[in-house]
Amino acid sequence: MTLIETRTEPMVINMGPHHPSMHGVLRLIVTLDGENVIDCEPVLGYLHRSMEKIAENRTVVQYLPYVTRWDYLATMFTEAITVNAPEKLADVAVPRRARYIRVIMLELSRIASHLLWLGPFLADVGAQTPFFYIFREREMVYDLFEAATGMRMMHNYFRVGGVAADLPYGWVDKCEDFCTYFLPKVDEYEKLITNNPIFRKRVQGVGTLSREDAINWGMSGPMLRASGVNWDLRRVDHYEVYDDFDWAVQWHTDGDCFARYLVRIGEMRESCKIIQQALKGLPGGPYENLEAKRMGGGPKSEWNTFDYQFTGKKSAPNFKIPKGEHYVRVEAPKGELGIYVLGDDSPFPWRWKIRPPGFINLQVLPQLVRGMKVADIMAILGSIDVIMGEVDR
Amino acid sequence: MAEEQVTPATETAALVSAGPISQWLTSQGFGHDSLDRDHQGVEVLKVEREFLLPVATALYAYGFNYLRCQGGIDLGPGEDLVSFYYLTKLADNAEQPEEVALKVQVPRHDPRLPTLYWLWKTADWQERETYDLYGIVYEGHPDLKRILMPEDWVGWPMRKDYITPDFYELQDAY
Repeated sequence: MTLIETRTEPMVINMGPHHPSMHGVLRLIVTLDGENVIDCEPVLGYLHRSMEKIAENRTVVQYLPYVTRWDYLATMFTEAITVNAPEKLADVAVPRRARYIRVIMLELSRIASHLLWLGPFLADVGAQTPFFYIFREREMVYDLFEAATGMRMMHNYFRVGGVAADLPYGWVDKCEDFCTYFLPKVDEYEKLITNNPIFRKRVQGVGTLSREDAINWGMSGPMLRASGVNWDLRRVDHYEVYDDFDWAVQWHTDGDCFARYLVRIGEMRESCKIIQQALKGLPGGPYENLEAKRMGGGPKSEWNTFDYQFTGKKSAPNFKIPKGEHYVRVEAPKGELGIYVLGDDSPFPWRWKIRPPGFINLQVLPQLVRGMKVADIMAILGSIDVIMGEVDR
Repeated sequence: MAEEQVTPATETAALVSAGPISQWLTSQGFGHDSLDRDHQGVEVLKVEREFLLPVATALYAYGFNYLRCQGGIDLGPGEDLVSFYYLTKLADNAEQPEEVALKVQVPRHDPRLPTLYWLWKTADWQERETYDLYGIVYEGHPDLKRILMPEDWVGWPMRKDYITPDFYELQDAY
């Protein structure tokens, strides 16, 4: 009998919680056979603040500043779902202008989130340069947010029945400028990255997830669409005013890290298209024009009617969440962000269950990395796009 | 606290008319109760824990391939705990596909029910989270342990009668 001299026992190593490419505080206990991954167990909870418990004694307005700390890179979505849940339960009407402003903000937030996925993902697989390019564009999105909401990241902008304030003077022009600037930049990223042979070797055929597995594991967002499912909640649920715009759901059938990259790049383009159409169709147009038309029309002006407001009836600080329950969701950049809310006719929700996309998508990591190499862990984890703030809540 | 005196009414099952999914389940002989539809018009079915596995398997065979949300509810101090499941039919180019919600009520002193991990893998971490925060035990789960709280934590933090250890208001911290 021959013995292979280089055979070693399996080795258990620990990655994180403070590993430089761990995307926050995530700990992985990895079992290795040489360079091959036998098993991997994620350990969570380092950022757990029990946001659901906090929600149980906060009113909606009190709770809004907390929610941007779930997914702190796609902050508009957490605010959107936090106001959507009680708003739909109480059947609050939202003016058309407010819906358009919401869509613009949501899609800008999607672009910012995908940008800050792209940079670190490329850094994970060894390309540092895109990191600096994406920050250049992301700053512009955040400048737009700052101009409209006063804050770059923790906006606190959505309100029950609309948004907190109308767009400032000149914002629509600025946003249009950003779109015309940004679309060629996406082409530039693609020129730099997509056909780069090193990048292709690192991501193609790595972390493949089949369509059946993706559905069974409850994947959502780009993880699901990259596995060949044409499922986008903006199309499925027809929420807000997404039906007004001409855009395409991005999906691929390969199911590997490269497909997820392509889906997200495509989504940035589609978001940009949606923003451009929404800016054109914004009811009442830019605020400076709307204000002038209102002044010209006097108090009876048609521009003072409901659909041209940035918010409907202003909600009271102790807005009551009516008796009843439901599950609402939005298509966040990471996937399906949902809230199950159980109200009991009090300002506080009886139960506020968050369905975070990152938490559900991260479950599949052990299955994806089994049998791959150590270096692929980073590529696969990067392609899942987790933000520990929403995984641990 | 004021909100603890009000118990949410989810148990007015008797007079609710059964929806199509409920009727199908009844026609196949799967015992359950229909609760009020939720605010989005989704059918809510109340299932006894003994029948959860057969009912869930039937719904899986019926086409509900996607478990989108699982969680727990505490109906109040001393009251029952609830484990709820929102299911949907995921397909390409879907237009507002069918949805259904299941609710399983378990007594507080004996909160056990079977896991749905073997039907929908996505139940894995969601059931671990519900176990972690509500202490509901999912029998047959491959790796039921705390996930968000530290593993040596005592108590079930999301229960309504949970008292935070060493809690004080900041203004009292002199």
